[in-house]
Formats: sequence, C-alpha cells, structure tokens
Amino acid sequence: MKCKKIRHWLPLMVGLDLSEHKVKAVKSHLVKCTGCQQEYDAYVLSLEKTKEWLEEDKQNWEEREWQQAVQNAVKQKKPAISPFAPWPFTKTWAYSLMGVLAAALLFLFVIKPFNLREGIAPESEMFARTQAQLLRSAFQESPQEVVKMTMVLPETGQKIIWIFDKNFDLEVKK
Amino acid sequence: MWMKNDDELVSEVLKGDQTSFELLLRPYRLGLLNMAYRMTGNREEAKEICQDALIKVYRYLHRYEKGKSFKSWVYKITMNSAYDFLRKKKKSEDIIESQKDLHFATSPNPEQQFLNREIGSKIESCLRNLSPKEKAVFLLRDGDGFSVEETSEILKCSSLSVRTHLSRARKKIRAQFDKVNLGFKKEVNSEV
Repeated sequence: MKCKKIRHWLPLMVGLDLSEHKVKAVKSHLVKCTGCQQEYDAYVLSLEKTKEWLEEDKQNWEEREWQQAVQNAVKQKKPAISPFAPWPFTKTWAYSLMGVLAAALLFLFVIKPFNLREGIAPESEMFARTQAQLLRSAFQESPQEVVKMTMVLPETGQKIIWIFDKNFDLEVKK
Repeated sequence: MWMKNDDELVSEVLKGDQTSFELLLRPYRLGLLNMAYRMTGNREEAKEICQDALIKVYRYLHRYEKGKSFKSWVYKITMNSAYDFLRKKKKSEDIIESQKDLHFATSPNPEQQFLNREIGSKIESCLRNLSPKEKAVFLLRDGDGFSVEETSEILKCSSLSVRTHLSRARKKIRAQFDKVNLGFKKEVNSEV
C-alpha cells in the first residue's frame, strides 16, 4: 500500500477509529516504512500530550456556584410530563393529528371550492327538489285525472313541465 | 450504598423531586463545564452556557427517551447551547479578541497559577485553528472519550462526518503541537 494512503489514515489510526482491515493494513505498513512510523509517532505524541494538557487544565465548579446553577434551573419552570407519554405514542398522536388536520384543510380549501365552482352542489339540490316535487305530486294528484311534473334546468333556469293524462299520454309544455 | 440510575432519577424529577435533579447531573458537571470552557476559552462564558443547558435539561426532561444514554442527551443540549452562544457572540463581537481574555482556574498558589496559564495557553494554541465543529468532535472523542457513534448522535451528524472532522482536527493539532512544543522547548533551554 502507498505511503500517501497510509498517511491519510494516520490521524484516525491514532485513536483506532478505523475499520479493522484498515488498522491491519496500516500496522503492517508501519513495520516496513520508517517514514510513516515517525509520522505516526508524531501523531501519537501530539494527541497524548494534548489529552494530558486537557486533563491538567481541567476546570471545576465551586460547590456554591454549582448549587446556584442547579437552583436557577429548577426555579425556571416545572418539567411537564407529556400527556402523550410514553414516547412512541407521542409521535403516533402527533402524526395522527397532523393527518386529520391535513385532511380537513384539503377538504376545506381544495375539494369544497372545486365542487362549488363546478356547481355540483346546487345542481344536486335542484335535482333533489324536483324529485321530491315529483313524488309529492304523484301522491297528491293521483286521485286527479291529470298528473303534472315540473323540472327546472339549473344552467338556464328553464322549466320543463310534463303533464300526463290518466292514460299516461304525454303532453309537453315549454 | 445503592445508587439510583439515571432513568430512575429522571422519573423522580418528573414526579416533582427537585433534589434528584442535582443528583442526576452531578456526575456530568465537570465534563459539561470543561466542554463549554474549551468551546469558548472563557470560564465565565462556560458557566453561562452550562446554566442555559441546565435550564433546558430541566424544562425538557420529559422529552428524554428512557433507556438511551442520559449523558449523551445532556451533552447534546450543552453543545447546542454552546453553538447558540458562539453564534450570538460572533454577531456582537470578534470571537478571537475575546478568546485572548482567558480566565484560568482560580488557584491560591501563584506557581500553580503560572503553570495553569502556561498549559492553558498551549491548549488554546493547539485548538485555535480548529473550526467549532472540529473542536466539538475532538473534545467529545478525545477529551471526553465518547465513541464515534455517540459523537455523531450528540452532534446530529453521520459517523463519516465525525471521522472526517476528527481526522482534520488531529492533523491541525499535530501541526500546531509541533510549533507549540518547539517554542516551549526553546523557552526551557533559555531559562536553563
């Protein structure tokens, strides 16, 4: 393996943060190559020394400071227990609520206006009214000799009236 | 003496026992303070970051997922507080200028104080060229001994990204270390 590649891996090799096969490859290379071995030693030294310095220069809390910091945190706000706890349900609830909300918004702002534009609702209303009228007239006027049916076209407002005699002969008036 | 684990202490805090909160965080207090201190280079600012982190930990304790590492969760919050702090600070003033104003551990002994100052300036020199991310990765992995996976979880990034930043950080530290060490040796020789 080339030195360039090995040297690229050296910083991670120092902390053994490489995969096993790479560690093996680097180790076997270091045995043969003194230049890379020196480079590796320099990395080890710098890391060990920096760690040592970090350890020596460790900061510490004064007990009073620490207690004060904890008191300040506790005073701020009481931790609220989520009503949806334990965790997996929290997400499920949130996603379900979001789904319902999205469906409601879709219905309110997309589906309903589309229907209104197309005039589906008024037409069906008109149709229902006509049907009811027909039924009513069929029942109410059955004793009579003449049955009359009226239909109003929603687009034009035109009325169509069917009049049947008792023999069901059709006569249309416009 | 029987010690309660983190999950048990969390449950007690959530039930309203405030003294358990201190017990819960006591093992991590030094680690958190030092992490914040290395990120800012200033003890007072580090304490400010820790205070902010403690408030967040207490406020959002119910969001902690039991069974996971509490230590990683607390470090994640502290790291976010440190990033927020650095972002705010960068807006208001030049970050490098303030890092010169290092405040070292208060020690009554002047010799010890001098030594601390010496070591502190060496660490500061080594970490100076690192970006905040590189610094965070280095401190978590090499300073606090977190694994690459734990570091990636704390910093919310991939393991690959952690390895890349770690590699860069160690390279920069090594380069800087040679300079610092050389300077230190010269000083020692001239004193002798």
